[in-house]
Amino acid sequence: MRRADNAPFTSDLVRDKQVIVCCGAGGVGKTTTAAAVGLAGALEGRRVLVLTIDPARRLAEAMGIPAGGPTPARVPRELVQTGELSAWMLDPRVVFEDMVRRLSDTKDRADRVLGNKLYLALRDLIAGMQEYTAAEALYMFHESGDYDLVVLDTPPSRNALEFLEAPRKLALFLDEKIIGVFLPGASGGGGMFWSRARGLVSSVFDRIFGEGFMGDLQSFLSGFSGMFASMRGHADAVRSLLTSDQSSFIVVTSPDSAARTEARFMQEKLREMRLPFSGYVLNRSWAYTRGLISPTTLGVGATPEAKSAIAKLEALAAHEQRLAERDRLVLNELRGDGACEATATPHLGAAIEDFAGLLTLATGLREPRAEKD
Amino acid sequence: MMDLSSLRAVLVAGKGGVGKTTVTAGLARAAAAAGKRVLAAEVSYEIDSPTPLADVFGVPHASEDPIAIGPNLSIALLTPHAGHLHFLRDALPMRVLADAAMKSAAIRRFLLAAPSLAEMGVLYRILDLLRKRRYDGSFEHDLLIVDLPATGHALGLAQVPSAILKVVTRGPIHDAVLEGLRLLTDPKQTGTLLVTLPETLPVSEAIELARGIGAHKIPLAGVIVNRVPNDPFTVEERVALNGMHIDNATMLGARSLPRIDRAKESIARLKKELGHPPITLPEVLDETQLEAMMSDAFGIGRSK
Repeated sequence: MRRADNAPFTSDLVRDKQVIVCCGAGGVGKTTTAAAVGLAGALEGRRVLVLTIDPARRLAEAMGIPAGGPTPARVPRELVQTGELSAWMLDPRVVFEDMVRRLSDTKDRADRVLGNKLYLALRDLIAGMQEYTAAEALYMFHESGDYDLVVLDTPPSRNALEFLEAPRKLALFLDEKIIGVFLPGASGGGGMFWSRARGLVSSVFDRIFGEGFMGDLQSFLSGFSGMFASMRGHADAVRSLLTSDQSSFIVVTSPDSAARTEARFMQEKLREMRLPFSGYVLNRSWAYTRGLISPTTLGVGATPEAKSAIAKLEALAAHEQRLAERDRLVLNELRGDGACEATATPHLGAAIEDFAGLLTLATGLREPRAEKD
Repeated sequence: MMDLSSLRAVLVAGKGGVGKTTVTAGLARAAAAAGKRVLAAEVSYEIDSPTPLADVFGVPHASEDPIAIGPNLSIALLTPHAGHLHFLRDALPMRVLADAAMKSAAIRRFLLAAPSLAEMGVLYRILDLLRKRRYDGSFEHDLLIVDLPATGHALGLAQVPSAILKVVTRGPIHDAVLEGLRLLTDPKQTGTLLVTLPETLPVSEAIELARGIGAHKIPLAGVIVNRVPNDPFTVEERVALNGMHIDNATMLGARSLPRIDRAKESIARLKKELGHPPITLPEVLDETQLEAMMSDAFGIGRSK
């Protein structure tokens, strides 16, 4: 399906893809963009879930849903009449414990892992580790069959793609041979090499963590040991979903030059990782000025105060025009002479105040627009 | 306002995109100009990730080892890897054992995959850099200014030490974490600088973060509101404008009015909630102006 002239590249994605991942530096409006992408998908008549990372209370309010719940909440039908829109703020603990329960052969084993002293002590820290569970949550909801499209707002970290590496890192660690080194009496392949490695690990760990820690770690890991194969298989499945043509990665940026540097880095990294990069969304830009009127329409002003106020407003307007010119250049630069897709969202101030604002953004991601008159 | 340059470590915290890096650089320049030996550092979990702080200083590369980039001023990357390596070298009886451990695939993968060990590595590296002394006994770096990574979790590094202490109850890691926690919670040595924007949501988050680090007993040295828009209008002019019933969303220039109002409200709210006014930085600011403003704001003596 080829889209209409002037239609943003996102219009195809929200109609066809099953997974859309929004990447970008912090502070560029990623969470809001993810919500708008989700709404655009719902407007296509699809069942959409938006997974957010930030506790964006105001956004949740604007969507008419509670801010933090254990499961996705559906946006009221009065607001979204076509399709379905749900949202969930990712809770790493819920995702992790859910995964353990799903992959455990018995309830007893799951209880042993989740009741382990080490796990209980670190549980609060895990609550902050969205990068470990974002990809897992994405996969879980995609597989559930409850949604046609899952949109993921990625965790804000300096390396914003770290969340993609986390399952792979975990899978590497869970390699039976590697884990065997940490387990007592495990047959990690045998041979001189592995027995030496085991010796090194236990002497290093006893010395640095103190006695006792190794025992806790071993009991935690042995609780896991039956799950390793399925966890590894799982990490592979997440990766193949994300590299498939059912998925799409959007890089969100603001006109700010540091944000753009990071955006370009991410785009390169995505290509390097063979992940399907679809294009840039330029947020918080002044690029679109179509339909805006000039303060000169206010006349000259009846009083001296009105006169000077209008003059100052005109100066602000001239400044906005310069910003608009600058942002159109930014947009062209992102497009790199047609090498990349890029679209700008309409300027709505810093925060989405209500559902109408979100709808304006979503419409901008779906429908043809001209940048200026 | 307190004199930040009397501290050993300043942690610059806040959400992504608020200008932490710019503030870190401005403060580092101001303190270096005042005669402090300053190390400005950014956290990097992977070697090839972007280095915004080095970019602000116009330096093409930063490395794990500090590089001098001007009088009294060096920059470095804080990586978990350097922290782990130095920790193991300090904790193990033989250097060769530490190097072997870091070469062991099992240990390397464990350090990479286990939650919060990366943060631990960064914390240890901070300790390590602060302990370094010159031959004359003085500190190699008088002041370490860290551009903290933006985390989704408000408290990031702050809550790692106490959680680790619960799990690791003795041994060198326990001791190192305890030392790190003492440094982080000592107001004579450490101060956190929160950076935020003059908008409703970022300010709510900054207030939450300030309370959160307070709960972890990490001292707050100040709050900076960055990119505060200039308000060109007098009170009378605003009254006149309001009387014209302009639709702010459709008139060029008028889109700036709600922004100006939100900025005023959010600065007033910060003052009310935190008990003292925040430091405000204007939207347009060059390097020299920023350095001067940081000097004034934090009483960094320029009387060298």
